[in-house]
Amino acid sequence: MKTWQRLRNNPKLWERYFVRERVIKAIREFFEREKFHEVETPLLIAHPPAESYLDVFETTLLDRNRKPTKAYLSTSPEVPLKKLMAAGLGNCFSLTKAFRNMETQSKLHNPEFTILEWYRVGVDYVDIMKDCEKLLQSIAGNTLIYQKKQIDFTTPWERITVADAFKKYADVNFDDFFDNAKVIARKKGYTVEPCTTWEELFNQIFLNEVEPHLGQGRPTILYEFPAAMAALAKKKESDPRLAERFEFYIAGLELGDAYSELTDPVEQEDRFKKELREVKRLGKTSYDYDHDFIEALKTGLPPCSGIAVGVDRLIMLMADTANIADTLFFPSREEFPLSE
Amino acid sequence: MRAMSTITTADFTKGGFIEFKGEPHQIVEFQHVNPGKGSAFVRTRLKSLKTGKVQEFTYKSGESVTEVPVATREMQYLYKEGDKYVFMDNFSYEQCSIAEGMLGNYVHYLKPNDTYQILVNGDEAVGLRFPKKVRLKVTEATEGAKGNTVSGATKTVIVETGAVVTVPLFIKEGETIAIDPETGTYLERA
Repeated sequence: MKTWQRLRNNPKLWERYFVRERVIKAIREFFEREKFHEVETPLLIAHPPAESYLDVFETTLLDRNRKPTKAYLSTSPEVPLKKLMAAGLGNCFSLTKAFRNMETQSKLHNPEFTILEWYRVGVDYVDIMKDCEKLLQSIAGNTLIYQKKQIDFTTPWERITVADAFKKYADVNFDDFFDNAKVIARKKGYTVEPCTTWEELFNQIFLNEVEPHLGQGRPTILYEFPAAMAALAKKKESDPRLAERFEFYIAGLELGDAYSELTDPVEQEDRFKKELREVKRLGKTSYDYDHDFIEALKTGLPPCSGIAVGVDRLIMLMADTANIADTLFFPSREEFPLSE
Repeated sequence: MRAMSTITTADFTKGGFIEFKGEPHQIVEFQHVNPGKGSAFVRTRLKSLKTGKVQEFTYKSGESVTEVPVATREMQYLYKEGDKYVFMDNFSYEQCSIAEGMLGNYVHYLKPNDTYQILVNGDEAVGLRFPKKVRLKVTEATEGAKGNTVSGATKTVIVETGAVVTVPLFIKEGETIAIDPETGTYLERA
């Protein structure tokens, strides 16, 4: 049965779907109070941000003579927002759609989803942490029940570094892990092959042993990620192995991903090239990086910090449902039943 | 019996059998996860065939695992004994039993004397391959309330296995309906 049919059969279900309206309204009100500009960013783009872990949707733009140009669906509004900040816009946000391929068969993903990104000029990521606390409180109030568990939103939230979380939950010394990941992972019983990368082992330990503990009882801000895992983040000055990146978790769900933004055009271009080599190696849909964005960085992106928040997950939380499809009138799995 | 073979996470199927920490397990559920920090992973819920205990484990996408060899045998469902369900091979008359925990939601739709595909590991029955649809007769149904014109309204009926199913108002006693045994939802008039 499709969602519209279920709604027709059971009008009580409408309430769950109306949560989306309230969340969207609360987000816009929050940024209006904070005096941010709202920007409409393009969905049809020529150059996706170079991130090797994403699979992009490719399409074709035709001119009047049917001459084809490759086009892509946006994976995030980040690059257009940064160009406008380089032009002098100041604090801004975008509440829009983003598209990521190969994300069916998941309770936490829909290939087309709603993303919120906001950027503050002249601050580092610590201020974005405070924004998250305030925004979530303005949406959820002080407390919320999600899947029978109570979550306390009063501030400040728990803050823990990736290194401390690895120590606390997986008993891994993170300094050691930088050099001896394979040895440590093998001792823990994970499969380690010659081609297994450091980043895969990081994620496997993280997903199995760390993530399930995050955001239980109250939200957790997890910060200082390995620099290799933050394509657009600024490195930490006192330890260049780490980047000024944080994520926040509620009830084991990752809700947002934030950076002190990289503003150096040379390093940005390097990282894009590295990512695109990885895209090729993985045999994914390939594309060129956005040279215009590098130009914008050269003219000077002011120091700024920003975050991407998965709005559908936020709605899941507010609607107390375990499946993202239950927050969407038209989930992709109903549109494309064959892909399941 | 099939030989042990190695598969990768790309071959995972819901209900499939793999070795985990040296013990046979059934994949109850799996999800692709993309942590946004790099490569892809597969989060699974695995049920031990020995203890019935369910635990979570996240594999690297593409990681190799040992598949537990499972053969299919056609067997007739006979009866329930305690928390075991007893089946009989249609040809050899050999009997075996499956614990309730291994059958999940499907137990509500098992019909005595019907033939099912039983999954066997060595001599041990480890599960049942249920069809996507089961057809069962409605044994108890109330008339749809007169004058109720709300289209899409539903009522509950009881089918021959004793399971309660929510159906549209027009379904009558004695009719056969198709049900999705995994979720227990009504699919169509059969």
